[in-house]
Amino acid sequence: MNIQDKYLKNKKNIFFSENKDIQTHREKLINIFENDGFDKKNNESLKNINLKNFIDFEYRYLISEETSVVNNNQENSYSIVSVNGQCLNFKDDKIEITKILDEDYNDFSKNNTIENNDHFVNLNSLFLNSGFKIVIKKNNNIKIKISNIITDDDLTIFQKNNYICEEGSSLNLIEEYENKNNSTLNILNVIKLEKNSQLNHLLIQDNSLNHSLIITSHSSCKKDSTYTQKVYNFSEGYVRNFHYSELIEANSEADLQGIFFLKDNNTSNNKTFVKHLAEDCKSNQVYKGILNDSSKATYFSNTHVDQVAQKTEGYQLSKGILLSDNASYFSKPELKIYADDVKCSHGSTIGPIDENAIFYLRSRGMSKIAATKILISSFINEELNSIDNEQMSEIIQKKLIRYLSKVK
Amino acid sequence: MFLEIKDLSVKIENKNILKSLNLNINKGEVHAIMGPNGSGKSTLANVLAGKEDYEILNGRINFKDNDLFDLNIEERAQEGMFLAFQYPVEIPGVNITPFLHSAVNSKRKRMNEEEIDNLSFAKLLKSKASDLGINIDMLKRSVNTGFSGGEKKRYEILQMSILNPDLAILDETDSGLDIDALKIVTDGVNKLKTKENSFLIITHYQKLLDYIKPDYVHVMVNGSIVKSGGSEIAAEIEKDGFQKFQ
Ligand SMILES: Nc1ncnc2c1ncn2[C@@H]1O[C@H](COP(=O)(O)OP(=O)(O)OP(=O)(O)O)[C@@H](O)[C@H]1O
Ligand SMILES: [Mg+2]
Repeated sequence: MNIQDKYLKNKKNIFFSENKDIQTHREKLINIFENDGFDKKNNESLKNINLKNFIDFEYRYLISEETSVVNNNQENSYSIVSVNGQCLNFKDDKIEITKILDEDYNDFSKNNTIENNDHFVNLNSLFLNSGFKIVIKKNNNIKIKISNIITDDDLTIFQKNNYICEEGSSLNLIEEYENKNNSTLNILNVIKLEKNSQLNHLLIQDNSLNHSLIITSHSSCKKDSTYTQKVYNFSEGYVRNFHYSELIEANSEADLQGIFFLKDNNTSNNKTFVKHLAEDCKSNQVYKGILNDSSKATYFSNTHVDQVAQKTEGYQLSKGILLSDNASYFSKPELKIYADDVKCSHGSTIGPIDENAIFYLRSRGMSKIAATKILISSFINEELNSIDNEQMSEIIQKKLIRYLSKVK
Repeated sequence: MFLEIKDLSVKIENKNILKSLNLNINKGEVHAIMGPNGSGKSTLANVLAGKEDYEILNGRINFKDNDLFDLNIEERAQEGMFLAFQYPVEIPGVNITPFLHSAVNSKRKRMNEEEIDNLSFAKLLKSKASDLGINIDMLKRSVNTGFSGGEKKRYEILQMSILNPDLAILDETDSGLDIDALKIVTDGVNKLKTKENSFLIITHYQKLLDYIKPDYVHVMVNGSIVKSGGSEIAAEIEKDGFQKFQ
């Protein structure tokens, strides 16, 4: 069934299909799909993807019997269980959670200037069936942990979440994606940081083989705000991490980091993109991958510095360890600079584990496998040590040990 | 025989490096090898330690009643072989304490000895470090990463004194050491020396052999040992170079 028929057939089940503006937007999207109207050649969202697999999906959405929970367990600390992309409304003097609204949809589709040729984001807009919006109110300092639960097999969840950190607020956000069913979650996080706000965002991805996760984020930072994102991908199934950031006012910062651990025939596609649109901003894009067996990964990183963005500091790094001759990691850093007073750099090192280091460690009596494991751990040591949440750090360590136990 | 190298020929990337090399070392002996750059000294050290890049064309090596080629790199270390590298490898992110601790314990395990616990190991490491004039702060850093040339060499000797090997191969441990460090490091070696262990010392300078008295000095040229004798050979080389051995 083609995209248009799929859409028409499931319209009742898709958010905002009665809204005129949104209808118009979606007609445009359908047109793009049906008439091959998107730029295939230079489109990073299509690289190393079997597009057919993703277009030929069977649309299925269920509102689960299980209900979402919002718990305010300690002062300033909330835990949320989102079920099939939905979350109950909640409100107190610090945060407010509501269902996603058509105005949020329009806001995104009209103001998204950073990338509107992302195939999977377009699918997300077209088939949107879930999502919520969280507002952190002015000057509050909040912790939120979200477990993203999918209840059934064969679901296709298209979810849009909005996060708004109001002026002077600070949010520590931990998201867990640990699903074991044969479903696909396509989620877009739209994140807005107002003046002088901060968001520390940690994403743990550990899905089973048959579960696909396509996660995209669009963050924008106003004056003096900082967005930090750390992605840990231990999934055995397909994961796409595409994260876009816009620094729209002075002295703001975006830090996009990721580590992925791949084995067997798994694939992971990654991209980070930072657009500097104001002066005195900093960005950091660092992805590290460990690839075993026949696994494959791609990583595109991009820094775009607008001509007004003087005194930009931008850093891009991609590192990979290939544990097998059959593993492959393609990485492509890109820099576009239109301002003159700018400090930007990028680097990329991908290769097998350092044989000289292995020899050195073994020559002291350490077994080959122990030496290999110690070198893998050391490769991501810095990132692991930088996690300031003890509980999360333990969880990640455990997953790392699980991954290492399969390394031969 | 403790270590017996017989007729050893080794090549790497189509280049013959060691050519019918013979060398015997008994328990309790100190042997020195001197030879011009590129003569194959480090190659010999690496082959003994088990580095896998080389092709063994001919010959055999016996070490403590084992055919050395039957043992892999770590088994050789666990049997008591130690190589102090000419160029110690920098390993960012790996700290010496857990790494060396696990190395010591795998050796003890092979020898059916009781493993050493965290606390005792940390104490041992600290006391050996202070004997060798190594700052405690350096133990917190990643293995060899950003160390100066001399610091790396001291750090090799620290590892040696912790592992307490039966056969220690020191590949130019003296180069890069200042005069005080040379004294400290050679003191460390002399302290470790007993009737039960042996040393194979690769050096370019007689100076080192003033501190560690060798029982034998061998001259290696173009992949073979061309002359063996006592300390007087080192003095000859210091005076006249390798010209007459070529
Ligand atoms: N991987 C390699 N590929 C090609 N040639 C090599 C390789 N490793 C060593 N060689 C060559 O083998 C020869 C012996 O090298 P080796 O390091 O054993 O010399 P050495 O006696 O230790 O010298 P030095 O006194 O300079 O340390 C040299 O000519 C060197 O270039
Ligand atoms: Mg050498």
